[in-house]
Amino acid sequence: MDKMDRALRELGQMDELAAGDSPVHRLSPWVKLLVTLGYIIAVVSFDKYALSGLLPLILYPLLVSQLSGVSLILGLRKLRLVLPLVLAVGIFNPFLDRAPLLYLGSLPVSGGVVSMLTLLLKGLLSLLASFLLVATTPIDSLCAGLRKLRVPQTMVTLLLLTYRYVGVMMEELAVMSRAYHLRAPGQKGIHYKAWGSFLGQLLLRSMDRAGELYASMRLRGFHGEFYYAPSRPCGGRDLAWLLLWLGAFALLRLVDLGALLGGLLRL
Amino acid sequence: MHMADALLAPGVAVGMAAASAVAAGVSVWQLKKEDDPKRLPTMAVTAALVFAGQMINYTIPGTGSSGHICGGMLLSALLGPYAGFLSMIVVLAIQCFFFADGGLMALGANVWNMAFYGCFVGYFLLWRPILRGRLFSGMGAKAAGRAKIILASILGCVVSLQLGAFSVVLETSVSGITELPFGAFVALMQPIHLAIGLVEGVVTAAVLLFVYEARPELVRDVTVREGEKQKGSLRMTLVVLALAAAVIGGGLSLLASSNPDGLEWALFGNSEAGYSENMGLDEESFGIESEAAERAGSIQESSSFLPDYAFPDSDSPAGTTVSGLAGSAIVAAVALLLCLVFGFFRKRKKAKANG
Amino acid sequence: MITLENVSFAYEPGRPVLDGISFHIAPGEAVGLIGANGAGKSTLMKVLLGLEKAEGRVMVGGEELTKESLPRVRRKLGFVLQNSDNQMFMPTVYEDMVFGPMNYGLSREEADRRVDAVLEKLGLEALKHRHNHRISGGEKRMAAIATVLAMEPEAVLMDEPTSALDPFNRRLVINTIRELGQTRVITSHDLDMILDTCSRVILLSGGRIAADGPTEEILRDKALLEAHRMELPLRWQG
Repeated sequence: MDKMDRALRELGQMDELAAGDSPVHRLSPWVKLLVTLGYIIAVVSFDKYALSGLLPLILYPLLVSQLSGVSLILGLRKLRLVLPLVLAVGIFNPFLDRAPLLYLGSLPVSGGVVSMLTLLLKGLLSLLASFLLVATTPIDSLCAGLRKLRVPQTMVTLLLLTYRYVGVMMEELAVMSRAYHLRAPGQKGIHYKAWGSFLGQLLLRSMDRAGELYASMRLRGFHGEFYYAPSRPCGGRDLAWLLLWLGAFALLRLVDLGALLGGLLRL
Repeated sequence: MHMADALLAPGVAVGMAAASAVAAGVSVWQLKKEDDPKRLPTMAVTAALVFAGQMINYTIPGTGSSGHICGGMLLSALLGPYAGFLSMIVVLAIQCFFFADGGLMALGANVWNMAFYGCFVGYFLLWRPILRGRLFSGMGAKAAGRAKIILASILGCVVSLQLGAFSVVLETSVSGITELPFGAFVALMQPIHLAIGLVEGVVTAAVLLFVYEARPELVRDVTVREGEKQKGSLRMTLVVLALAAAVIGGGLSLLASSNPDGLEWALFGNSEAGYSENMGLDEESFGIESEAAERAGSIQESSSFLPDYAFPDSDSPAGTTVSGLAGSAIVAAVALLLCLVFGFFRKRKKAKANG
Repeated sequence: MITLENVSFAYEPGRPVLDGISFHIAPGEAVGLIGANGAGKSTLMKVLLGLEKAEGRVMVGGEELTKESLPRVRRKLGFVLQNSDNQMFMPTVYEDMVFGPMNYGLSREEADRRVDAVLEKLGLEALKHRHNHRISGGEKRMAAIATVLAMEPEAVLMDEPTSALDPFNRRLVINTIRELGQTRVITSHDLDMILDTCSRVILLSGGRIAADGPTEEILRDKALLEAHRMELPLRWQG
């Protein structure tokens, strides 16, 4: 199934990006996590008509992309998953909210159009921010960061182990579905007669795998404790990154930079 | 059903994250109490399997389309509610981190909508009472087990997906994101998710039946000791309750589709005239009677819980002006210029490094 | 190093998988454990590792394997699984390698030192920070061996170490095994590999020891091998 292959490729691509080296890659993972959350909160807290106030926030993804050497184009491809629901929710706004909000020359633009565009921009910006976080932070550092932010060890370890086996499972399922479709050339999906056995087979094998995996852990002295790569001590650089960006987000959130510059333009 | 960050107001996102965090905390605590070190690898492998399994297309007989599973019910039937919930969180987190499916801030809401109902409501209200109950006791033990698994899987998936879809609508509406009135949104979401839930239920049942035939001990609550079975009769009341909830839920969505503004009224106590005329999804009223539409928009605004969900100072909803947009264009241009400069320096550095 | 005295094991009563197994393996010895599918090789490995509790006596490094001694005995043994994906459960090679040493209470610095030493010895420095699901099958097998060596075991047990490897990687694994100083117990159907790595062979059949002796002797015995559903090593097949 090419869906599975595509997902595998995408997963590999994120790994490769995160394995890179740049000033952004080298930052403490928990700092990046907090800045990203701060950014998303700032973005989504804008009023639904605040298109001009929101636009300057595009500075963050652009700058981080430049500093880290991670292309935003790759992030844009991931839009296909979230965009449909955002669009489905926003598409009605132009029809339902028709009061003209502003005039471009003599052309009236309704509040609905502005709010739809704002919504789409919010979707785009928050997605780019999370993409940049993951594209500059390998999974192990991400987990170390989550630990630092006091996420329980059970959760973090589960995330780590699951992430490892997502690739393995997808490969196995990809092989199975290729085998299935080679013998059922006309079918688009799995025939209902095989609904249970297809995933069920793999499930049974996975349980054996889990047993072997656990044996492998026990044989290496596992007694319930997982050790994470030591997170580098948080330096002045990290703190500066945290404070500067959070300050910048607060400022951009409070001051409509777009309107301000526009006002200057008119003078 | 994955929500993007943009669909949630910060207050709602944080609230949902807090609710999910509490449920996750309870689950972690429960797992610690069980203290089974083999649990973690089993959960990880099963979660990874469900993650991959979500990408399988199941052809729905008699139609050209295909369905998918989300997996909450499947996970809790195999791992139990607590382990299932935590595994589902991890599945959603990986989707969010690596595939941008659902937003980072929205993770809490997504966990609630897609994992909480399937794992806790589906398990405690449907799966366990049905499996441990005396239903189908006329058949043989094996046949009764099969019938119970089918019933519990389908009911569990349908009910949890209905609840999940309803939560999506509720969260989006409370966030004041869409102009689409609550009733119409409900009418749009619930029937779609009824179909999705049915398909997921049947696939879940099929997978669990397969496991039940091969290794029955892997399916939860199938083999119950005699003493525990007695609880079944008591639990049947819960089944009835859950069924009632499902019926009411279904009824509500029917009501919503025939009288879209009914729910809006009920929830927000808004009864302005002219509103109901516009809210159906029939095209006639869409955008033609613009006056009614305008009024509807303003009603929507005043009726959402958090009209000014933003920070307290954002008091100019119509603050966008042409000059503002022009200013933003300047910002964008400066940003692009910055990028070009950066790119130039990087290239030079690279050239130097290579030369 | 490893001594078994009359070891028997059954998953279901009345159907023994291992039936009165006794042998002694000296320190530094390399022993190939061969036999047809279902002969009991994997179960024997599990018993040695204390993953299954069998009747009879299992001695490792002069200590009897009991519930109480299990943690100490396990520390002396390293096990390379047939499926490296099940062995390597951490995201990166490095983290998998420090997992064992850290569990044994070593400091991060000491664990790091061991990791670097093993990687250098095996010539795998480039793999250190690679992701386990992004490396090839051959690299994965070598990395799996490295995770075990980082624990500095006294004996290494290997289950089909050359399965599904290309000729180059197979040779690499064989050379690695030959250069190990530890006691080695290797199960495999790859008799040519056994011939290259082991000085002694134990042939299992139906849960019993059918033959135990020098590799050359047993693997040349066509009649013996064929009687137990095996064949001569490829290089000796006319």
